[in-house]
Amino acid sequence: MRISPLISPVAVTAYQCVSAGGDDMDALYASLLANRPCLKPLTLFDIPFDTVVGEVTSALPDIRPDLKNYNSRNARLALKALEQGGFRTEVERAVACYGEARVGLILGTSTSGIYDSENAYARLQQDGVMPGDFYFTNVQTAQATAEFLQLELGLQGPCYAISTACSSSAKALAAAQRLIGTECCDAVLVAGVDSLCRLTLRGFNSLQLISADACRPMDAERQGINIGEGAALLLLEKPSIENTDRPRLLAVGESSDAHHMSAPHPEGLGAATAMAQALRLAGRDVSEVDYINLHATASTLNDLAEARAVASVFANPPPCSGVKGLLGHTLGAAGAVEVVVSLLALERGFLPGTCGLQMPDPECRFPLVTAPELNISPRLILSNAFGFGGNNASVLLEAA
Amino acid sequence: MECMNLLGVGVCAPDAEFRASLPFPAFAINRETIPPLLRRRSSQAMQMAFSAASAACEQAQRSPSSLPAIFASVAGEINTTDQICNELVKTDGVMSPSAFHNSVQNTAAGYWSIAQQCTQPATALAAGSDTLAMALLEAWCQLACQGGELLLVCYDEAWPGYLAPGCGNPAFAYALLLAAGKVDGRLMQISRPQVGESTFPAAWTDSVNSMPILAAIPLLEAALTGRGPQAIALSPHMPGWQVHAGAYE
Repeated sequence: MRISPLISPVAVTAYQCVSAGGDDMDALYASLLANRPCLKPLTLFDIPFDTVVGEVTSALPDIRPDLKNYNSRNARLALKALEQGGFRTEVERAVACYGEARVGLILGTSTSGIYDSENAYARLQQDGVMPGDFYFTNVQTAQATAEFLQLELGLQGPCYAISTACSSSAKALAAAQRLIGTECCDAVLVAGVDSLCRLTLRGFNSLQLISADACRPMDAERQGINIGEGAALLLLEKPSIENTDRPRLLAVGESSDAHHMSAPHPEGLGAATAMAQALRLAGRDVSEVDYINLHATASTLNDLAEARAVASVFANPPPCSGVKGLLGHTLGAAGAVEVVVSLLALERGFLPGTCGLQMPDPECRFPLVTAPELNISPRLILSNAFGFGGNNASVLLEAA
Repeated sequence: MECMNLLGVGVCAPDAEFRASLPFPAFAINRETIPPLLRRRSSQAMQMAFSAASAACEQAQRSPSSLPAIFASVAGEINTTDQICNELVKTDGVMSPSAFHNSVQNTAAGYWSIAQQCTQPATALAAGSDTLAMALLEAWCQLACQGGELLLVCYDEAWPGYLAPGCGNPAFAYALLLAAGKVDGRLMQISRPQVGESTFPAAWTDSVNSMPILAAIPLLEAALTGRGPQAIALSPHMPGWQVHAGAYE
């Protein structure tokens, strides 16, 4: 007998993603099936060490003139995703259906438009003042790209950013589900957006976590992480007769490690709590999970903590894999980007591989999917996102 | 859920002159609220957030270790981020690992969970001039979905002057300990935030336009002076987000 859920599911009626894996869903699907790294040397700016990154190298659209104060690489990545595969039309349909005040917007980001701020600081040191076209609250503060999208789309519902480092956009999904569950909104656009910048590249390098070569998540010989960028958009709506054919966001489990600012709890206690909480909120049993999309950054501490967490929650773990060897770690966007990957797995019927994995770490006592598995159609998926501050989120998704 | 109940409040205003101008009691930073090991590298933002949060928990007589927390800030760890950005411009610029992980928006939230040994969820949010309104809405949604109690902390340290000339002062923080449903000992009931036409006090409009985190002054005044139920604007926007709040019964 199924336990009744503690939070109502919501429908995911549209989703879209721009990343190193391509500019739309078909391109991302092709990259996932090819399972070859989309990681290349950085072209956007210079850095004083070797690495490869998941950079979006296709052209980004311009911000329209009346919103030019919001111009940033982050906003342009988000705008690019909005223009793919009819996503904007889906938002317009939701606005027409519910009214602009009933459609909310929650952004998950870690560094917002800081890439553009870095360029402005170069001018500050040269000229003694910030450039005249730098608008701090429209570019650098965390909600900047959320406000941009809200104005671009004419939405008038609640609008804010969640910025909890690498769990940001997974937690944005949690907040969006609550906005719909409490009838504050009928639909919420969730955006996970982060762009490459010097701060994160050099910051992770200072922590000695950057790999010179393409990363190898969960591999016994992993050498660290690669940074990526991306924009993932998801349109969540209250369940209705119109969207019974769309996948469901069942619940998001959230927790804190209460252990260390930049290192996970060594036994993965917080990660385990988040996964268990997602299942508890949804009223589902561990045995029902068909696949876990791992956070799997390819940092040794993170991978081992997550491996121990999976082993502690699941007596018989389902197949697991992680895609950061393909796309890089898109930081604040990672939660949403990898939920989009998981939704593709649900809707197109496959399990993503773990690009870069050659020799699984013996501590990973669960079935690791190395190459994409095309003969399994998962119906219930957990997707993990863990961040600095010991901030954990695990997203539970179900096929229609 | 009919309303949120306010069980405890803490207000921290480091600048003595600004503190004296407030229509309710506020306090300086209390460094004793930060564990000694974290104190040395803590930012003004974190010191204020901890000071306000500890005072709210103390007033409500609640243990922080069991409370989910929402930390809301317009600019987060802006001085640490500013220092990093200035270093990144230099060819020989130095980036320290601790400066990097202390630049994230959830720095105060993360250290709070570590200091209190609290494994409940902690969120960090930002919403520009609607940061207070969206923080209250997030609190409403969490309490309506999960029940219980939570800690909401809003804070902004002073910003470097060149980032947004004329903005980013004075530093200010406040914490609200909120509960779902009827609770004894409440200071105030607060409705779900909604968009409305209530007017923001003219005396504070200029201050809030240059430092959005000050938008809570009318709400804090109502809470700390025991005002009766009224519509309270959460920003100078018109129309804008507001709540109905006051000491009921």
